Amino acid sequence: MTSPPATESPAVERDPGSWRDPGGFVYRRDGVLYRQIGPSAIDDWTAFVASGLAERLIADGRLIGHDDAPLADAATDDARAVIRPRPIEFVSYPYEWTFGELQDAALLTLDIQRAALDAGWTLKDASAYNVQFRDARPVFIDSLSFEPHEDGTPWVAYRQFCEQFLAPLALMARRDIRLAALLRANPDGVPLDLAASLLPWRTRLDLGLLSHLHLHASSQRRHAADDDDGQSAKSARISRQRLTGLIGNLRSTVAKLRWSPGGTEWADYADHTSYSDAATVAKERLVRAAVERVAGERIWDLGANTGRYSRIAAETGRRVLAWDVDPAAAERTYRGVRSEGRGDILPLVLDLANPSPGIGWAGTERRSLLERADPDGILALALVHHLAIGRNVPLPMVVDLFARLAPWAIVEFVPKDDVMVRRLLATRRDVFPDYTLDGFRAAATTRFEVVSEEPIEDSPRTLLVLRRR
Amino acid sequence: MSELLAYIDPGSGSLIIQVVIASIIAIPIFFRSQISRLSRTIRGPKEEPTPVDDVASRD
Repeated sequence: MTSPPATESPAVERDPGSWRDPGGFVYRRDGVLYRQIGPSAIDDWTAFVASGLAERLIADGRLIGHDDAPLADAATDDARAVIRPRPIEFVSYPYEWTFGELQDAALLTLDIQRAALDAGWTLKDASAYNVQFRDARPVFIDSLSFEPHEDGTPWVAYRQFCEQFLAPLALMARRDIRLAALLRANPDGVPLDLAASLLPWRTRLDLGLLSHLHLHASSQRRHAADDDDGQSAKSARISRQRLTGLIGNLRSTVAKLRWSPGGTEWADYADHTSYSDAATVAKERLVRAAVERVAGERIWDLGANTGRYSRIAAETGRRVLAWDVDPAAAERTYRGVRSEGRGDILPLVLDLANPSPGIGWAGTERRSLLERADPDGILALALVHHLAIGRNVPLPMVVDLFARLAPWAIVEFVPKDDVMVRRLLATRRDVFPDYTLDGFRAAATTRFEVVSEEPIEDSPRTLLVLRRR
Repeated sequence: MSELLAYIDPGSGSLIIQVVIASIIAIPIFFRSQISRLSRTIRGPKEEPTPVDDVASRD
């Protein structure tokens, strides 16, 4: 089929991560999010919308909803339909999720595939990037991922699912939680042969991991050099009933993976602070009053630990991203938030000294954290000493990053005579003569105005509220 | 066939292994159904008991 190249309207800003599926793409026009459906996908789309499956998945919150938009809003003149998907508050990536978040996203994908098969449909892709977190629960955002399932055909996205979900989850649960970093290094998913070689031998005793990971990796290796023009792959036939059984088995393999937070650096930190009860009460009161001053509802709690102060910020009606460098602390927060059924706090994993870079094609397919950052205010409670002393970051650079992130910063400054800082300095030379409250204030006032500065009762610490100049 | 239309590479090895795994998973299901068929043959059908052995079969 030949057709003239589509001309694109100049006001359109294409999403840098939406180009793999030729069926359509996501873009913005005047700040509004759209998805257009092209000629190759229009029949499937029309049938999917009419199928009842779409309606069910949207109604129970598993698939993102959308409104129909006029063709006049299309990005290119070959569009056959245009929709306005409900926007996601903050776009996060799998390498920023906790173990439980990645697992819940995986289970959501399989549950959707199961529901799709029951209705005669199938997911044509199973990328982890098709899932986002809305109100702290996973939601499938790629409305164009559905195509009719022809009975007898295997799942085309099985490989992608195993590489993007199963392999990293198994590595995190059965080898080391820090292997989540492989997701950042491999935006297309963790190669199965790599996962198989890194996993402990005993994972072969788990029938699910043996099949979907180890045997799967061997099968890929064995058939990689098949020189039969895809004939052996084309002759792979599987009844829908058996395919449903396979999805069910994959689901229980994923659901059985367990990782208990603990044993990492910070998970018990809240229980081991230097705070007296009186100081805790005083700090909570000061933080609440400080958050209430922030104009706007998006708060990023940097160094949230298990989310104590994220909850206080949320109690003032704010929407909170609870970031922490420790996957165990973030996982605990996620489990707490999930069991309370609250949607105003989303825990995520972040090393502020090494935030997510732009990755994928042209380094822009998955945007850097700083590009996505749009909080109205940040909480940096007992954080500065970890950056300034723990990571040797000069105070003016810490302040610059805060100012880049948000117009308001609520900072708890922990001085050198505090037991937590003494501990950081116990085994090293003190090369931080500027690390004092005066030194911090001097650095802060180059970018911020100090709105308030109050000592925290019964502790040597100070809470500063800063507004960007 | 939809795999020919797939825009991602489904991978030959990944398609073939699904058939293998699904067959293995199906074995216990097959045996379970055979065993229950066998027990039905031996003990007689449970679903439609006659009035007499309905009473007898209740503990």
